[in-house]
Amino acid sequence: MSTDIELAVNGVRQRVVVTDDDLLLEVLRRIGHTSVREGCGVGACGACTVLADGRSVSSCLARAVRYDGVPLSTADGLPEDDDVVAEFVAAGAMQCGYCIPGFVLMGHELLAENPAPSRAEIAAHLEGNICRCGTYQEICTAIEATARRRQAAQERRSA
Amino acid sequence: MANGLHSGAGGAVGERWARTDARAKVRGELRYAADQPLRPCLDVVLHRATRPHALLESVDVEDALAVDGVVAVVTGAQLYERFGDALMTGPAFSDQPCLAVGKVRYVGEPVAAVIARGLAPARAAAERVLVDYAELDAVHDVDAAAAGGPYVHEELRPSIIFGDLKHLRGKRDTNVNYEFNLRRGDVAAAESEALERGGATVREEFWCPPTHHVPIELPFTAAWRDGDRLEILSTTQTPSYVRQSVADLLGIPLNAVRVRSAPLGGSFGAKMYDRLEPLAAALAWSQKLPVRIVANREEAFLLTTRHGVAVTSSMTADAEGRIVASSADVRYDTGAYADVGPRITGKSGMVAAGPYRVDNVKVRSRCVYTNKPSAGPFRGFGVPQVTWSHESLADELARECGIDPAEFRRRNLLREGDVSAVGTPIHSADFLGCLDAVTEAVGWNTPLQREQGRLRRGRGVAVGLKAVLTPTISNAVLQLNQDSSATLLISTVDMGQGSDTIMAQIAAEALCLGEGQVRVVTADTDVTPYDTITAGSRSTYHTGNAVRRAAEAMRDKLVGLAAERFGVPATDVKLTADGLVSAQTQQRVSIPELLHGHFGARGTTLTTEANFTTSWVPYDHETGQSERVTEHWFAGAVAAQLTVDTETGRVHIEHLAVAGDVGRAINPTLVEQQLTGAAIMGVGHALFDQLVFDEGQIVNGTLLDYQLPSVLDLPDKITPIIVESPHRTGPYGAKGVGETTIIPLAPAIANAVRDAIGIRFARLPLTPERILTALAAQETHK
Amino acid sequence: MSALDLATPVLHRPDTLAETCSLLAELDQPMVYGGGTAVQILLKQGVLFASDLVDIARVPGLDRIEETGEGLRVGAMVTLRRMETDPVVRRLAPLAAQVYGRVANPRVRNTASVGGNLAHGDYRLDPPTALLALDARVELTSAGGTRLVPVREFFTGFQETALGEGELVTAVLIPAQPSPAAAFIKLSSLSVNDWPCASAAALLVPTGRRRERWELRLGLGALAAKPEYLSLSVPVGTAVDEVLEAAQRAADQVIDPIPDVRGGVGFKRRLGLVAVRDAVRAAWDVAAQPTAGSTRGSVPGSAREEDSDGQRTAQRRWWRGR
Repeated sequence: MSTDIELAVNGVRQRVVVTDDDLLLEVLRRIGHTSVREGCGVGACGACTVLADGRSVSSCLARAVRYDGVPLSTADGLPEDDDVVAEFVAAGAMQCGYCIPGFVLMGHELLAENPAPSRAEIAAHLEGNICRCGTYQEICTAIEATARRRQAAQERRSA
Repeated sequence: MANGLHSGAGGAVGERWARTDARAKVRGELRYAADQPLRPCLDVVLHRATRPHALLESVDVEDALAVDGVVAVVTGAQLYERFGDALMTGPAFSDQPCLAVGKVRYVGEPVAAVIARGLAPARAAAERVLVDYAELDAVHDVDAAAAGGPYVHEELRPSIIFGDLKHLRGKRDTNVNYEFNLRRGDVAAAESEALERGGATVREEFWCPPTHHVPIELPFTAAWRDGDRLEILSTTQTPSYVRQSVADLLGIPLNAVRVRSAPLGGSFGAKMYDRLEPLAAALAWSQKLPVRIVANREEAFLLTTRHGVAVTSSMTADAEGRIVASSADVRYDTGAYADVGPRITGKSGMVAAGPYRVDNVKVRSRCVYTNKPSAGPFRGFGVPQVTWSHESLADELARECGIDPAEFRRRNLLREGDVSAVGTPIHSADFLGCLDAVTEAVGWNTPLQREQGRLRRGRGVAVGLKAVLTPTISNAVLQLNQDSSATLLISTVDMGQGSDTIMAQIAAEALCLGEGQVRVVTADTDVTPYDTITAGSRSTYHTGNAVRRAAEAMRDKLVGLAAERFGVPATDVKLTADGLVSAQTQQRVSIPELLHGHFGARGTTLTTEANFTTSWVPYDHETGQSERVTEHWFAGAVAAQLTVDTETGRVHIEHLAVAGDVGRAINPTLVEQQLTGAAIMGVGHALFDQLVFDEGQIVNGTLLDYQLPSVLDLPDKITPIIVESPHRTGPYGAKGVGETTIIPLAPAIANAVRDAIGIRFARLPLTPERILTALAAQETHK
Repeated sequence: MSALDLATPVLHRPDTLAETCSLLAELDQPMVYGGGTAVQILLKQGVLFASDLVDIARVPGLDRIEETGEGLRVGAMVTLRRMETDPVVRRLAPLAAQVYGRVANPRVRNTASVGGNLAHGDYRLDPPTALLALDARVELTSAGGTRLVPVREFFTGFQETALGEGELVTAVLIPAQPSPAAAFIKLSSLSVNDWPCASAAALLVPTGRRRERWELRLGLGALAAKPEYLSLSVPVGTAVDEVLEAAQRAADQVIDPIPDVRGGVGFKRRLGLVAVRDAVRAAWDVAAQPTAGSTRGSVPGSAREEDSDGQRTAQRRWWRGR
């Protein structure tokens, strides 16, 4: 069965026709969000991570019909001056880069819930995202740096 | 002047330039192969064999064709009728058809290809293909296969390209498709003599299971026919190879085939030689349809794997702790198709005795067919498996002799100028430097708290040696644009190792260009010149040299033009960061001004090109000896400190120090990421990575079951250490590093476990179950 | 031949519980689609046999967490992540919050539902261990009405539960945790973030008129064809080693591992006993603290845990409410 749904991706609303079986991953890629990728098809690697209402979701296991009207975020739609992105770049947190957008979104989710995570908490939050090139340390450093940066900005504001 | 230590005063080599496309990678804007805009293609889904070894009695595609949306269903028999023996591809042996012809040789082998409008009908139709099999006995164990039948192939089919494999053509009644032998001195005599005089020998049977590369990006290949030309877009590390392979398959000239690659989402050897390309090409050409083939994760496991290897080996030392003899009988399980197995067998056989001075060496290394998915190139190219053997033996032997394992190695490691077991001298392979660096980093000689509750702590070290693939060829074309930006055309593919960045640095160095001024074009065989392969850590040295030469030729051209403009001899002109300067007259001109003045137009280009080709002296067929078997060596070492939980069997790595001699680090950050990244992959191999087969069928072929190191599997601390022992002919002294630390990783872990609990493990991986079982056995024997 | 006439289950998206129950009663081989991750994986692997999928995401009222007189009422569509982070859960049933938070990774927990986690009867899952120890009850609803099944009777066999035809899980009732002396240990055999090879939730509850005995409740996961529960009673003041010994002996009777790529029977049994011992010891340590014996307001999961995987699990902090 085909349905007309509204996807709200990165603040932009778009009507798309999907079947009941269409996965969010396929639909998002079809409309141009190639930062969302398939790596395993079973939700184990995190390359397909998107944020739905701020919460991370494996889009390879999510049916698009369930996300009608739900605000979605993908890495390619983050603001140009996004701080998590900036810190990833500064930390050299990428090698082949294929898995990194997923990590960026997980970083956003974590910092929204826990603004000053310890290294262990960062690792616990990222345990479901695989980086085969082994860039984990830089990724954790980038998230820590973002937390510190936000803290400093906060302190400046309240000063 | 030799490509020695001094730079072109360019300020690029040795700098931590930001990785090309860093921001695009983080934001997910970089386009990988599957993200590239394409003409509309039909989808291909494969019907795969469900038997490990069987004759194809019949392949019935009628029901499949009846599915709505299906355009064609193609079988191996049809393709063979069209292409004949050219259908058989492979980098060493021409033994693999892209669709099974006559028989299937592994579970999962493609039998028929459905071409349809969309994946859903393609999948539906693939399930409706009916195959009648006449089952044959299958052989799964590498030693059973080496000893006799059943025979996976009726006769051996070495590729016509390789003269040294000619003698194997037509050979029948064997599963051994290649054998490498190394003989030096007299191992048996040396052994008995040493033992008589108070020396010691250790012997063991080692096993490394098949594993998988699992790059996160899945394989993708699209192909279409444009009149007389075939175009391919594919996830491949080897576009030049694919062009040749497809040209051979289709019987058309090289300039009628265009192969484009894209930045790869990891590869580690999984996307090389002939994967989905021959099939896509054969279908697109014969059916005159644009096709797209995507492998899902389960299928990616079937495309290529890492060799499972059995090694029976020994090492003997004299009473002074000097290694006097070393032997190894190595069997590589190459699966149903040889792929590059024969080369791996030879190249690893060459270094099976390890990085040591040994006068008496005997190595027999064989490449064996079995009925499982083909094994091919994987980071390390077969060397991690023989290193598992020699570094475990060296460790045990050190203990037998009562000598500290690091010290024992120090006494025996090859030094600059020494002749290796294969007969080629050592240059720029600082084994000692690497060993010292890692042992110091983990505090090898500092006190160690060995018992902490139920934890047992230990330290281990291992040293690795590898020879770079030789002979190979690299080319580079450099285009300097009038605005002094430059475009570099090479067929080296960036799969995360950072080639796009360091090649730009090498080009920029001679031309005094800055960060971001040189752009590497994505490999496209219509445009980028031939490069053997991007693999085996060869690109920094080989492509790097071609790039350096092209850049220096460009510098010379600019100097010539400036000299003309200034009216001075060329020897008087220098290229600096400020432009071209005459020492005599102090005249100065920037590159843009110079080119504008010369051409009288904007947007113009100056072009130079260069080649870098290496040669070797092929090893003797009987003795394996050669005075120049490789262009250069790789040296690396790993030291580990870890704990073993005696209740759960779990190994926890506290500190991993990893060092590689890179000659010269073109970009230290990227080198450190390779040292660390390869080490993390090695941790997986040491502790839990393995492909599990049941009667030839992969049992754990999903990421829910096949485990990869996550952030929680990281050692508490990883110390990457760059060692620089400049190579006299490397670009600015540089060599590659991508495989260096994965090579000795597993034995370093096993040696540390041995130190912690006194048990030697000869089989990988060191799972908690194996450790607990061994601990329990140790208890019983007390 | 249409591509659609293959066994692709038809998706239904009812708007009410009543509609859901009717569908479950009428359809041929319906399966409830709650969180969806497990079902989606089975579908992809071609091992899901269902004619229809009934998506309950639109049914109101299934995603509430309510404090009741006895403890908690958790709707079937509450995500595992909410169980991990919700302040009410962390206050009233900290063991449950802790265990739900150990399942897989945050992405899975954001989608997987409490109901789905129970309904599939997967013997490896962690949350049943806590629910068993806490003596929770599962609310099952069908067109014929509602009934409650104690979780200790809910798992009936290998991937079999007490769910009858036409029934779905609509809520889980969790009694307020009677004691802070609880611990959860999860051991894996491959990578650290792998499925568990053995897991144990331990809860020590003071019993007796003068609180002179401990009831040790143990929920075991991944160690038999279904999650298992056992309990023993020990006098307060028993030496910890004796308690551990007794717990292991009792657990040994119940452990009956299924061998797979993660390990053979012997290994899993050994690991199971270690998990039991470590969980009981950790719970005992909490019990031994002076504040032990009080129930509410006690240390809600902010203890530093060190499980035998050699990893320190994250020190839990107060989460911002979402």
